[in-house]
Amino acid sequence: MKRKFQTLAIILILGVMKLPLERRVTSELRSMRLIDEPMSVGAVESMGQSGLAAIFGGVRGLVACMLQLRAYTEFKRVNWAQVDSLYRIVTRLQPRNASYWDEAAWHMAYNAAGFYLYNRDKNLDRNAEIRGQLYHEHVQRGINILLEGLKFSPENPRLWERLADIYFRRSYDMAKAGDAYLEARRHGAPAIMLHMAAFAYAQSPQDVESHQKAYKILKSEYDRGMRSPGIIEHIKNLEGWLGIPGGLRIRDAIPQPKAPQKVPGPRLR
Amino acid sequence: MSSVFRHSDGLGLKISRVWTLAHATFTQLIRMKILFFLLFFCVLVVGSGFAFSVINPEQQLGLLKTVSLGTLQIFSLVIGIVSTALLLPKDMEDRTLYTILSKPVPRFEYLVGKLLGVLLLIGGGLIIMDLVLSVVIYARQGMVMQETLRALEFNGQASPETMERLKGIVARQGLTWEMHWAVLAIFLKAAVVTTLALVLACIASSTLFTIVVAVCAVIIGHGEHLLREFFLHPYLSGQLERFAALAFAMIFPDLSQFDIVDGVVAGESVPLSAVLDMVGLATLYVGGHLTIAHLLFVEKEL
Repeated sequence: MKRKFQTLAIILILGVMKLPLERRVTSELRSMRLIDEPMSVGAVESMGQSGLAAIFGGVRGLVACMLQLRAYTEFKRVNWAQVDSLYRIVTRLQPRNASYWDEAAWHMAYNAAGFYLYNRDKNLDRNAEIRGQLYHEHVQRGINILLEGLKFSPENPRLWERLADIYFRRSYDMAKAGDAYLEARRHGAPAIMLHMAAFAYAQSPQDVESHQKAYKILKSEYDRGMRSPGIIEHIKNLEGWLGIPGGLRIRDAIPQPKAPQKVPGPRLR
Repeated sequence: MSSVFRHSDGLGLKISRVWTLAHATFTQLIRMKILFFLLFFCVLVVGSGFAFSVINPEQQLGLLKTVSLGTLQIFSLVIGIVSTALLLPKDMEDRTLYTILSKPVPRFEYLVGKLLGVLLLIGGGLIIMDLVLSVVIYARQGMVMQETLRALEFNGQASPETMERLKGIVARQGLTWEMHWAVLAIFLKAAVVTTLALVLACIASSTLFTIVVAVCAVIIGHGEHLLREFFLHPYLSGQLERFAALAFAMIFPDLSQFDIVDGVVAGESVPLSAVLDMVGLATLYVGGHLTIAHLLFVEKEL
């Protein structure tokens, strides 16, 4: 009987000692971004069985990996709803892994949106309006995924860059693209992001504020000695649109393109 | 230096005796062919390292790490629970337990020896698997780097900036010290679960009971932080629910604190203070569980 009381006492002492200690260590590890924040009830409800098993089995990463591979299979089957739903679970399981948010957004804003825009499955029921609508919905879904991912990793340059690319190339929202490129640069993305931000601002239609931002960036780059044809061409256009006085304008002529611009992607041989 | 430590209850802890017991337990487990899992692991690591060539370099290395570290975790928890659950009943069945305890071997030493044997097996297995994983990741990261560089050069996009970025990605996702800290965290979690299984084995009447309850404890342990938060936020629910949450939170260890694998795969660095925190907590849990196991085992009628 004495031993039983001793056991109970040890359990109580251990419990009292460990609770504040666990709380402190958990908060420290969370601040170091080594363990995840607890999930909201809504997020847990949308997990499904595999997600819950992952959380309570301590193998979130492993299950996220498996679901990502399943999502890849669904991507090959062009089952976009399933791709979106699987990535929803994957990103909930690994909210701070930027590559999952990036891929999920890429699938929606590029693959799914392009699939519907060009009617890849040759569905005769979809006319141009429906295809356009589906395109915009999927691009917006891609943007929403990234905005959600940025709540978990607001300093991730990769997510800002992908968001900027989608604004720039898919939804043509140039002012927002410029802002996102600047954020990407601010968080450590390559220097080209600064030029991309300026090019995006410069292409924002009838938006004086964006044009001023673009001119400011490009002029400072020009003064630093960066005088590529793209920079000169944009400065010349902006000088005209912003009514820059003659004395302050750059002296270079608008460059004539000599050869087609090199575009990313594999070359055809 | 004397190899005998005196306890307040008068029990002696002789290191050589404990080591003999630990060694015997380790040999006993090896004879159960538990380490065949290592072979399975090696095939899995090599397979996942060289499969999935369709995805990008970052994904390939990330996937390799996630699958391998996840498998390590499952291996260590399963071995910890099952071998601890099997050992006490097997010793009683073989009557080895009676032979040992009829000699001047305190029950505490017997428990520590058994625990140490299981931990040696898990630790040894993890070290071997960590080595295999390190070799595969090192080889794979070199190959991935070369393949990607060739592709970039072929497409005329191998600018110095792009190369730097690629190197950064491969360095972050390749072989890092952080990966070994993650393996240590897996070991610490397994040690805590093993001692918990030892407590259960001391009160259990069957192996199945120990395994089932230990698995439940692992599940609750991964959700312990939710119970703790539930107790600490009075506006969430009634007193009865809060009391139940407190009771569970006091009994079960918080296993989610050892889950740094996902952070490591995501490229986060592991400071020494985090490692020390985890080691400190694991020591507290192991010490507490071992004391409870001893108190229960002393009372147990054999």
